[in-house]
Amino acid sequence: MARAASTRRKAATTLIAWTVGLLIFFPIFWTVLTSFKPEAQAIAMPPRLWNFDWTLENYTAVQERSNYFRHFWNSVIISVGSTLIGLIIAIPAAWSMAFVPGRGTRNILMWMLSTKMLPAVGVLVPIYLLARDTGLLDSRILLVGVLTMINLPIIVWMLYTYFREIPGEILEAARMDGATLRSEILYVLTPMAVPGIASTLLLNVILAWNEAFWTLNLTAARSAPLTAFIASYSSPEGLFYAKLSAASTMAIAPILILGWFSQKQLVRGLTFGAVK
Amino acid sequence: MSTKASRTAARLMISPAVLLLLGWMIVPLAMTLYFSFLRYNLLMPGMESWAGFENYRYFFTDPAFWPAMRNTLVLVGGVLMITTIGGILVALLLDQPFWGQNIVRLLVLAPFFVMPTVSALVWKNMFMNPVNGIFAYLARVLGLQPYDFLTQAPLASIIGIVSWQWLPFASLILLTALQSLNSEQMEAAEMDGAGPLSRFWFITLPHLARAITVVILIQTIFLLSIFAEILVTTNGGPGTASTNLTFLVYMQSLLQFDVGLGSAGGVVAIILANIVAIFLMRMIGKNLDA
Repeated sequence: MARAASTRRKAATTLIAWTVGLLIFFPIFWTVLTSFKPEAQAIAMPPRLWNFDWTLENYTAVQERSNYFRHFWNSVIISVGSTLIGLIIAIPAAWSMAFVPGRGTRNILMWMLSTKMLPAVGVLVPIYLLARDTGLLDSRILLVGVLTMINLPIIVWMLYTYFREIPGEILEAARMDGATLRSEILYVLTPMAVPGIASTLLLNVILAWNEAFWTLNLTAARSAPLTAFIASYSSPEGLFYAKLSAASTMAIAPILILGWFSQKQLVRGLTFGAVK
Repeated sequence: MSTKASRTAARLMISPAVLLLLGWMIVPLAMTLYFSFLRYNLLMPGMESWAGFENYRYFFTDPAFWPAMRNTLVLVGGVLMITTIGGILVALLLDQPFWGQNIVRLLVLAPFFVMPTVSALVWKNMFMNPVNGIFAYLARVLGLQPYDFLTQAPLASIIGIVSWQWLPFASLILLTALQSLNSEQMEAAEMDGAGPLSRFWFITLPHLARAITVVILIQTIFLLSIFAEILVTTNGGPGTASTNLTFLVYMQSLLQFDVGLGSAGGVVAIILANIVAIFLMRMIGKNLDA
């Protein structure tokens, strides 16, 4: 009796939960579906859910119209590049704050976080002018640099919360056995730190891939990543729904898959360890 | 415990990160502050001169300033309300046992990973377009007049789009917090005859308080600087109907080339964000001790 009731309850919850989930997901599903329609059928009324002629022409059209892969490549270089450089700078900092905490550690961490609170628009003008005067406007190097600085506090914080969970006794034991700082880092710490570093890497690539303030303001045709390239569809010519969908699908698919893998780290990373 | 040598090494390892961030913060900030006191327009190079507080006076008396302030607050407040309440509901739902939990969780989370320009353009064209959009179709099916969302209710439409992007974040964090709820306490309350509503009100909600605060504060930081969604949907219009503070500063500095005025606006935006930041920092600082 009780079991039947709980099964019925579970069935009802299943129905509601799936409805909510599919509704929230629907715009993404619709975008992917539209990317396979011919343009004329993409705007057809009533909307076509299945009765359309599947085609890949939009994907080739998007590439021909504006060299899509160049922008895709820009996105890859900017997001991965800024994350890797950020990690190289952040790993030593987070390591020493987690294992050799001094009196100032707490303040340094809080101060780093506070730089993240600086609204981008507050420094838009100087960064723009500096970029213009150094000839770096619309270059990938500039964006790698800017995004490295934007995400550095998050990288340091994430690594710090991971490193702090590594038991310090292990390091002390290694030190007692005569391990040098170098071998301590190389053979003891690194293997234990790899999962945390990997999660940090993943989350930051996602954040950098989707960053859309600096990428829109500091790039033009040459170094525009996908965020900026997609924005060019806001003033389109002719029918464009299917092409917009194809470009969008390719822009979000890789990061969506990465994101699904990193959902646990997401909470931790974006709340700076306040919620686990 | 730690030797002197290791402490020196530690300091050496922190310094690149600290110095870089320090430079990143101080140099542009000082420049913004300095520019905000200059008469400085990019269209008239070489004509820079000291302006005192003139830019601030212009900024505060700009007819777009108060609408932009209002829009910023409405945008942040609206999205926070929708995502927090919606997030609690979704989290409560996903916390129940049902078939396919993992898949539904992925579906709900997905919009967070969609870049702002994509989600804004997809909503603008394929859903909100008054002729070809799905909403227009639904309206016609129901015998209603299609509604031109982004012209007639631009700010509300943007609130809708941004809420869709941030609902997953709120849901995920609140769900994570819910899962750490002590089930024994819940069962004890149930045995004592507490109904589902009072259990939610007296046990679940207090337990979620911290996560809700975190959601609100972190989202506020991001929502104060919403930019891409406005740029690709309404361009701040019609008029100033969907211009927020970030967009106003962008227009003044990069479209009107008024560096002085834009910088004054930037300083105002920084002050506004700092007020929020103080609260957030206290929250996270407390956690650091725990």
